[in-house]
Amino acid sequence: MIAESFSFPEINSILRWQDLFVSFNKIALIAVMAGVIGTVVFLLAGRKDASKAPKGVRNLAEVSVEFIEDGIVMQTMGKDGMGWTPFLLSLFIFIYLCNVPGIIPFLQMPATARIAIPMFLALLVWVIYIGVGFKHQGLGYIKSTLFPPGVPKALYILVTPIEFISTILVRPFSLTVRLFANMLAGHILLVTFALLTQSLITAETKQLMLKPMAILPFGMLVFLTAFEVLVAFLQAYIFTILTAVYIGGSTHPEH
Amino acid sequence: MHSAVVHLHGSLVHLLTAAAEEPVSKDPGPIVPELKELYWSAGSFVVFALLMRFWLFPKLKKGMDARYQGIRSAHESADAERSNARAEVADYEAQVAAIKAEAAREVEAARNALEAERQAKLAEVNARLAERRAAAVAEADAERAAARDQIHAAVSDVAGRAGELATGRRPSDEVVTRVVSEVMAR
Amino acid sequence: MEAFSHIAAATGLTGDEAKAAAAASSAGFAYGLAAIGPGIGIGYLVGKSVEAMARQPEAAGMVRTTMFLGIAFTEALALIGFVVFILIGL
Repeated sequence: MIAESFSFPEINSILRWQDLFVSFNKIALIAVMAGVIGTVVFLLAGRKDASKAPKGVRNLAEVSVEFIEDGIVMQTMGKDGMGWTPFLLSLFIFIYLCNVPGIIPFLQMPATARIAIPMFLALLVWVIYIGVGFKHQGLGYIKSTLFPPGVPKALYILVTPIEFISTILVRPFSLTVRLFANMLAGHILLVTFALLTQSLITAETKQLMLKPMAILPFGMLVFLTAFEVLVAFLQAYIFTILTAVYIGGSTHPEH
Repeated sequence: MHSAVVHLHGSLVHLLTAAAEEPVSKDPGPIVPELKELYWSAGSFVVFALLMRFWLFPKLKKGMDARYQGIRSAHESADAERSNARAEVADYEAQVAAIKAEAAREVEAARNALEAERQAKLAEVNARLAERRAAAVAEADAERAAARDQIHAAVSDVAGRAGELATGRRPSDEVVTRVVSEVMAR
Repeated sequence: MEAFSHIAAATGLTGDEAKAAAAASSAGFAYGLAAIGPGIGIGYLVGKSVEAMARQPEAAGMVRTTMFLGIAFTEALALIGFVVFILIGL
């Protein structure tokens, strides 16, 4: 029977990678490559003649800039938030380029499926939106966050702890887990269906029907790969837009 | 001892295969961040974000803004040119209308003059015609009167002679003339 | 703990094996239960958003942005369930 020859591998064996150099593994490679590719694309785009209609690399860069400006900043922060465009742009590009290796052949590992990158980015966003809150509102930030106006005084006993937990604790946690768990789930699904396909093809069985059946998990694998293309983009978008919402909420109280 | 190249080669081969060969410990679970991954990714993101903030993005944005500004100003100048052209066309049309009105006025004046001249000539011709007709009528009347006198004389003569023959006495000329005149007038 | 000993007694597994078996099955329950609420929530949310976009196509961009935000918040619960599944199951 198949079930005897098929067993899902230990989870660390599909997530942890050997060091290429000292302390430099595949995750680090993908992260560094994401930074380098982003830099190179924008460097090449900046070199091109800006006065002509944009083509190729420059078009790509300008489309991404306009996506961040119109799709994220204008929708959440309005015109005041335009100064955050470079940060949100680099956040979006970095996350997207870390997500996308999950479906690139031979890489096949989303760097964000390890918790290090989402956790670092979420903590960075946490520090930034709290810092922005104190910078824009001074100590009033604490008041407007923990004691939202328009609530009866007696309810503050209930509201303040909830607000504290949801704003200060849950936000970075959910930001981390959303990105990390989505990418990890996608990665595990891809591994599962790839292993199912492989074990059906290589099964030592006398039932001839069993080997052609490998087309079923393979079809699912193809479908999931296409789905992961969407997920990689969507998760980068959601992380960025939530960052924009949090920062926008810190600059203007009660939004 | 391995050289660095051999090590690199081996690492790249390992890169393409899952790391299952190495004994994986269960120790750092999947939700515990690994320090080496943390600082590599943090470092590359921070460098990328700083580059983007202070160098790459301003450069790109400057080009984009300049181009948009150029497009906008080109639009505006095109609008200005279009309104200029419209004004010129209106000007030209006004001139054309003025010239047309002038021409119409002149044509009207000429037509009036022509009409007056024609009327005058017509009156002249009519007058001449009337004159001639009057002359002709007078002549014809005169001739008719002459013919009547002739006929009167002849008839009087004939009547006188006929009376003379019939009565043996010559009737007075006066009576004959009066009778003939009466008959002819009837 | 009592459950483990019951399973161990019933199946003849040793204590650790019984614990692993219990962990595996409860991991499945953890994720399955965690997925119910967000499943209903996301379905309702997207359905309402589509309705809103169909009624007022000119507001589609804003509705879509808000929809993605809502999905992100709702989905977090299912993902926490998934993390629990990873923690206790694998």
